[in-house]
Amino acid sequence: MRFLVIVRTAAELPFATRYCDALARAGVLLDAADLRAGAVDGNGRVTTGAPVRGYWLIDVRDHAEAVERVRRIPVAGCVVEIRPVAVV
Amino acid sequence: MGATTSVHRTIDAVWRMESAKVIAALARYVRDVGLAEEMAQDALVAALEQWPVEGVPNNPGAWLTTTAKRRAVDQIRRRENFNRKVEEIGRGVRESSPDASEGVEDEIGDDLLSLMFTACHPVLGTEARVALTLKMLGGLKTEEIARAFLVSDTAVAQRIVRAKKALAEAGVPFEVPEGPELAARLASVLEVIYLIFNEGYSATRGDHWMRPELCAEALRLGRVLAELAPKEAEVHGLVALMEIQASRSQARTAPDGTPVLLLEQDRARWDWLLVGRGLAALERAEALNQPPGPYYVQAALAACHARARRPEDTDWRRIAALYEVLARLSPSPVVELNRAVALSMAYGPAAGLALVDEIAGAKALQGYHLLPSVRGDFLLKLGRTDEARAEFEKAAGLTRNERERTLLLDRAAACLT
Repeated sequence: MRFLVIVRTAAELPFATRYCDALARAGVLLDAADLRAGAVDGNGRVTTGAPVRGYWLIDVRDHAEAVERVRRIPVAGCVVEIRPVAVV
Repeated sequence: MGATTSVHRTIDAVWRMESAKVIAALARYVRDVGLAEEMAQDALVAALEQWPVEGVPNNPGAWLTTTAKRRAVDQIRRRENFNRKVEEIGRGVRESSPDASEGVEDEIGDDLLSLMFTACHPVLGTEARVALTLKMLGGLKTEEIARAFLVSDTAVAQRIVRAKKALAEAGVPFEVPEGPELAARLASVLEVIYLIFNEGYSATRGDHWMRPELCAEALRLGRVLAELAPKEAEVHGLVALMEIQASRSQARTAPDGTPVLLLEQDRARWDWLLVGRGLAALERAEALNQPPGPYYVQAALAACHARARRPEDTDWRRIAALYEVLARLSPSPVVELNRAVALSMAYGPAAGLALVDEIAGAKALQGYHLLPSVRGDFLLKLGRTDEARAEFEKAAGLTRNERERTLLLDRAAACLT
């Protein structure tokens, strides 16, 4: 099962691509990227709220494993969201 | 009740994530993979008793390893010849405090690699290697392996017991082989991983929900191995092959379950993320500048299709050339037959027919329905319809697949009009 792990943090970049070693070594990391600040919506207006600063796309057996793997990543002061990817 | 279930789910997940590392670390101390696995299982039992009550520890992997090592010490104490071993293990227990897991990744990596090489040791039969690998490296339960291979739990349990015994009797050392031995041993590891992948991918015997799980597990093992042995081109070759094949899994069957041939697949349904990963793995293999191995060549073949946005964009000349390389590396009439198809696509049906006629006498192809079927196709394209019809009829008589037989008989009938 695939999960998109969305990281909201005020930490310096690179962040997602820096803390993905353990996921890669475990063979579950499919993709990771850091995102620059300055999110805009479809009309070009700057959006507010805690910025999404990076993501990990992982392939694991189930939700519990996704949670456990993300829990091990030493990420202080950030909000992580774990979303299952739909198979359509 | 709900909390207990959720703890159990966590324990399941922790076990899948940590068991291989626990077994590997333990095997380094006790020098016996079978014993290491038993002790790890004991630690799991302890976790199932304690965690629901006391909560999941902060570093569950270290907890499991420490608990398992303590059990191993007890176990060996109870046995006769414990002196030196106990000393070693005792030291290990003190050294590995639960917080010491960072910074020893290299050591863990070596242990994991040793575990892979041991589980896939050539003294074991194929089935034993597969079962042991899934159990010890994949963290699968015996009943999960049984379900995946459509055999009974007892059969798998026996397979594993016998395999562990065979390893002990053969005195297989717990280490990463070196020198000339490495190549053969690595080939055995790669073979096991690819077998697991194919068992999930080909679904020859029914299709069970465990099947996609096997593909995913093989891919994961391959990626782990690529991290552990990054200088082995064939490892990247195998990963590339599996990623690209897996990218087609949604497109390779129609909604009613009928298989869809590669050239007829809807390429929009390919998983382009996996295609990209496969091509990247292939580049890593190429960058190592080693002589091409069979997995690399098969991956390169798969990549030819993956790079073509439309079937008509396929680089058949490159495919024909790659099949020639593959035929040299692992000679097989089936590879030659594929080469014939590629030749006909690249240079016309006459070129394909020439090769088919050359290999038609091969023993391995007698009774193989694809030989007359392919030959019929070439003949039809050359306008030799009578001969083509005879070949299609011959092929129809040889295939055991009802759907395919109908298809071949239709093609034979079409030759008459």
